[in-house]
Amino acid sequence: MSLVFALAASVLFGTGAYLLLDRDLVRVVFGVVLISQAAVLTLVASGLTRGSAPIYPLPEGAVSDPLSQAMALTAIVIGLAVTALLLVLVLRVVHAYRSPELAELARREAERDARLERVDEREHAEEEAAAL
Amino acid sequence: MTALSLALVIPWAAGIVLALLDGRRRLVGWVAVAVLAANLVALVALATSVLPDGTVTVTTGNWPEGVGITLRADALGVLFALLSSLALLAATVHEVLDGVRERTFPGLVVLLAAGLTGVFLTGDLFNFYVFFELAMTAGYVLATYGGGRRELGAALVFTAVNLLGTFIFLLSVAGVYHVTGTLDMAAIAARMDDVDPNTAVLLAVGFFVAFAVKLGLFPFHFWLPTVYTGARPAVAAILSGGLANIGAYGLLRFGGELLPDELDLAAGALVVVGSASIVYGGVLAVSRRSASEMLAYSAIGQVGYVLVAIGVGGPVGFAAAILYTIVNALNKTLLFLTAQLRGAIVGAAFAVGALSVAGVPPAAGFVGKLELFRAAADNAALIALLVLGSALSFVYAFQTYQYDFWRSGRRGKRGTVAQQGVIAALALLVLAAGVWPEPLLSLSHDAAESLARGRP
Repeated sequence: MSLVFALAASVLFGTGAYLLLDRDLVRVVFGVVLISQAAVLTLVASGLTRGSAPIYPLPEGAVSDPLSQAMALTAIVIGLAVTALLLVLVLRVVHAYRSPELAELARREAERDARLERVDEREHAEEEAAAL
Repeated sequence: MTALSLALVIPWAAGIVLALLDGRRRLVGWVAVAVLAANLVALVALATSVLPDGTVTVTTGNWPEGVGITLRADALGVLFALLSSLALLAATVHEVLDGVRERTFPGLVVLLAAGLTGVFLTGDLFNFYVFFELAMTAGYVLATYGGGRRELGAALVFTAVNLLGTFIFLLSVAGVYHVTGTLDMAAIAARMDDVDPNTAVLLAVGFFVAFAVKLGLFPFHFWLPTVYTGARPAVAAILSGGLANIGAYGLLRFGGELLPDELDLAAGALVVVGSASIVYGGVLAVSRRSASEMLAYSAIGQVGYVLVAIGVGGPVGFAAAILYTIVNALNKTLLFLTAQLRGAIVGAAFAVGALSVAGVPPAAGFVGKLELFRAAADNAALIALLVLGSALSFVYAFQTYQYDFWRSGRRGKRGTVAQQGVIAALALLVLAAGVWPEPLLSLSHDAAESLARGRP
């Protein structure tokens, strides 16, 4: 059973990591979602015990571990919140750059750097000229 | 005990209320400042009871011990909480004086303070993750503050990379729970000895990657320059002076207390990664012209020193790491706040910060460097590396000073008198810590001892 969980979690993590490296921003979000699911699955798997539901008054015999379920629930809620946040962020970036591609963001950034570089160079040349 | 609960509850409750109000109104901004100040006062009250008498523990909700979530304040946690709270307070006062631009800013900073206080004062592993994520989420939204293109692009990179880091942390948390069957940090530290070494090393690597991403250490640094240069000065100060402390704290707490054997095993690797960070950050910072870019690369270099000190290990190494983290957070808060201002007082404050980064007396950085040298005393190669790093930081800090203030190459506004007052107060604090280092030294040694005492 542990092996099945481990395999499933590793497939989720691997797929998520692959998507995270994609140029398309929406795919990046999906990558983060898949990785969060891998973490949740690992949390569930970390406390795999057989038994009845742990509700007071406790029944006779073994009860299943409630802690890993509580952790998984919390992690799901947090994952949902950050996914929503990430989607809003992507939406605003797409509006600002008018493109859902990371390459476009990088190109704009490079353009800006080159412009600053030129300004610096010009100032430097002016200083040199003034010093002569 | 009440101070511990208050330090958490005040910013938490106030943050929720403030998030609903329009932060652009001056009054709301000042309420946020008052809340942060109250948080700081509660933490000072907590420190006065923790430092002489030892750890304060509270089990939430009056549950029996071992069932409820424990909050635990020891010297290390209180020190980091105080430091982060101070950095947040200074940056918020600075921004409120400048005029807050977005309605969510005060609420987010206060919630960030709640998250940070929680991270540093919790004794429960999963609770650590929840507070960690609370602080980080506030940080993600703060990174967009200003709302321009660059901020948005930087915030997206910041969010995606750090989310990956926190999920790797969560994977390690699940692993620790699986092998030890508990989430209480003290119990984990005791049970970790019986765990199969291979498993423990895997878990340790997960924790290391998560905190290294947060700190921006060399191979995990790629997000950092974009974010620190893209964000507004106050936000950059909050991120580097407040939020980045989680990384150093996590490495100390998880490496020094929970997984000490694995830390010893990896000591060489940590020193190598730290050295790479120092050299990489230093060399790239020298090549930068603008103050905020210089500071961003300098941040990568400075955390390298912390990692080297942790790698050296032992009470001396941990004390040096703690002290250097404190000094570095103060430096970065001060320098980022000066980043877009000009004028004589700002110039003087920048010079103090630059002296501190380079480790020249009388600034606080000197004490930090001195402790590092003490920790690395019997290793000639490390001493040479520290000298090289210090020389690089001297060059980049004063190169920027010369360019920005001697030749008035800085395009910025003068800032109000009150803003200059905040910066001057921070600069005086850095100077005071350098002139009278005794309290800071004894605090960091106390904190390092509290880590060593946690060892089984």
